[in-house]
Amino acid sequence: MKIKVKLYGTLRHRVAGYHSPQGLEVEIPDEATAKDLLDTLKIPGHRGAVFIMEGRILNADDKLRHGALLDVFETIHGG
Amino acid sequence: MKFIRVNMTDKSIRVQDVPEEYSGLGGRGLTSIMINAEVSPKCDPLGPENKLVVAPGLLSGTPLQNTSRISIGAKSPLTGGIKESNAGGTVAAALGRLGITGIIIEGQAQERDLSILRVDKEGEAGLIPARDYKGMRTYTFVEKMIELYGKKTSVLCIGPAGEYRLTAASIQSSDIDGHPCRAAARGGLGAVMGAKGLKALIVDQRGQSPDPIADPEVFKEAARAIAKAVKAHPEPGHLMPTLGTAALVAPLNSMGAFPSYNARKGVMNGWEQISGEALAELIKKRGGKTTHMGCAQCIIHCSNVFVDTQGKYVTGALEYETIWAMGGMTGIADLDTIARLDFLCDDIGVDTMSTGVGVAVAMDAGYKEFEDGNAAIEMVEEIGRGTEFGRILGNGPAAVGKYFNHPRVPVVKGQGIAGYDPRAMLGNGVTFATSPMGADHTAGNVIGLCLQGKLDPLKAEGVVEISRNLQIAIAAFDCTGHCFMATVAVLDPEAGEPFRKALSAKLGTELGPEDFPGAMGVRVLKAEREFNKRAGFTNKDDRLPKFFYEEPLPPHNTVFVISDEELDTVFDF
Ligand code: SF4
Repeated sequence: MKIKVKLYGTLRHRVAGYHSPQGLEVEIPDEATAKDLLDTLKIPGHRGAVFIMEGRILNADDKLRHGALLDVFETIHGG
Repeated sequence: MKFIRVNMTDKSIRVQDVPEEYSGLGGRGLTSIMINAEVSPKCDPLGPENKLVVAPGLLSGTPLQNTSRISIGAKSPLTGGIKESNAGGTVAAALGRLGITGIIIEGQAQERDLSILRVDKEGEAGLIPARDYKGMRTYTFVEKMIELYGKKTSVLCIGPAGEYRLTAASIQSSDIDGHPCRAAARGGLGAVMGAKGLKALIVDQRGQSPDPIADPEVFKEAARAIAKAVKAHPEPGHLMPTLGTAALVAPLNSMGAFPSYNARKGVMNGWEQISGEALAELIKKRGGKTTHMGCAQCIIHCSNVFVDTQGKYVTGALEYETIWAMGGMTGIADLDTIARLDFLCDDIGVDTMSTGVGVAVAMDAGYKEFEDGNAAIEMVEEIGRGTEFGRILGNGPAAVGKYFNHPRVPVVKGQGIAGYDPRAMLGNGVTFATSPMGADHTAGNVIGLCLQGKLDPLKAEGVVEISRNLQIAIAAFDCTGHCFMATVAVLDPEAGEPFRKALSAKLGTELGPEDFPGAMGVRVLKAEREFNKRAGFTNKDDRLPKFFYEEPLPPHNTVFVISDEELDTVFDF
């Protein structure tokens, strides 16, 4: 399936060729989870990655949905 | 370990050793426990009975990094309850290096009299006439102080708003570069200072008489471990220096919890233009500074310097809450306007958050259109000029709501909310409703837990307990002078050990997890609750404004669903 990914914080510097604000279109296996996506983007095991799809915060093992927009952040505790 | 008590009525200054009942207290712990013990809860906050207590944290002035938070407390003229507002900058470290535990401003000067309290590098305090500086804005004032007393001078001062005794007036704190861009902004403490007849507290940074550390070796080792944890943690180690707190703009909008257009929507149109990412990019392009060291002894550098297209300084420490209040709440998707508004508030000496929310309430009431940046600038300028409307706005959002007879006023205990909508982040709704400070983003912010997936922002389950535990932990850390950005790395119980060690080594008492944050936080909150109760607050004051319970917030279209009974259990300890 295909999903659109937007990266924020320091993550956008970790993916070669990432252009904001367009984001990235990523092709991943149909059953892929949020965590799999990080592996695909070669930012594995990043402590504190946060996935928000359609306004909802996902768990790392939640499945992604074809055609969705996924925002990926890093955890932040406030200011 | 000494107090400097300054009586503004007769201009006397008394230095005393810290009495037994206040020993082991610092920062918010000292301000709140002292206000509760010494200030009549029913007093006029702008009268001679109120006291303004300035307290560095327990660890300020030690070699531990990120410990220059200054706590300022009083009875708040904005909420009518107890207030502690803390700020970064350099003054807390400077006071700590002089072994000064607290400066207590008492009494009241004669009408129109104005003084500066100066503490020199030997720790000697004296009052200096300041009538020449009457009405002066904070940037010019700090420049003059630095000219007079040298670069190694820390300044806490008020601007015209404080002198007018407006109840959203701030006390501005000078940063490393001598810009008064940091603020103890909340609760109108600037008005208390103005009412006392005090324009500023200035402190020499070259003091060399800090309180001894009970066990310097253990302290040193613990400090090293904390620095390592801070550097290794992705948030203070990487994200904060890259984007600062402005990094919150994007996730808050993505989650639909960014109160916009006076909290009519949870996502702002064009938020991408005011995000932390956009801010950092713009600052870099223009030659300003990201990764800026704002406060003494900081190893994180979350701050920034915003410049205009010519590369000229506009403002410093442009942070999330200001961007939200001046941008999200007003619908102004333009960083130049927001930066200008931030500067104006700092310069006039008024809380950016209360002011942004107040501007939004005025816009919502139809006084001006949302998104009108020029109108917002003009409104804030009016505070500086002391016009009729300016004085209303400078008294905070509740005053603005009353003036326009407008019912949608997002305040708790009279204090404007912060940039997390309670309907889309129930946990922060609980904190806003119940914090003794009024709606407050620092008192127990659940955003981190939400983003970590440990708390569903839209579900009621567990929020009361989480808010309680966070409020206790923060109340304790607020006693230490440790910056929250660094605290993030030691907040988890497992990571907290070195911090406890450092604190134990400083104080010379072995603290366990039940002592810190546990018992210390509970003690502070109990004192604050007790003061508020004696001031006349009841559980009815621990509620959000009605519209949060009734008006669904798009895009989730949810309302605040935590019952009154549940809110009343937050402080069951
Ligand atoms: S992280 Fe930011 S707020 Fe904290 S001490 Fe450093 S500059 Fe100041």
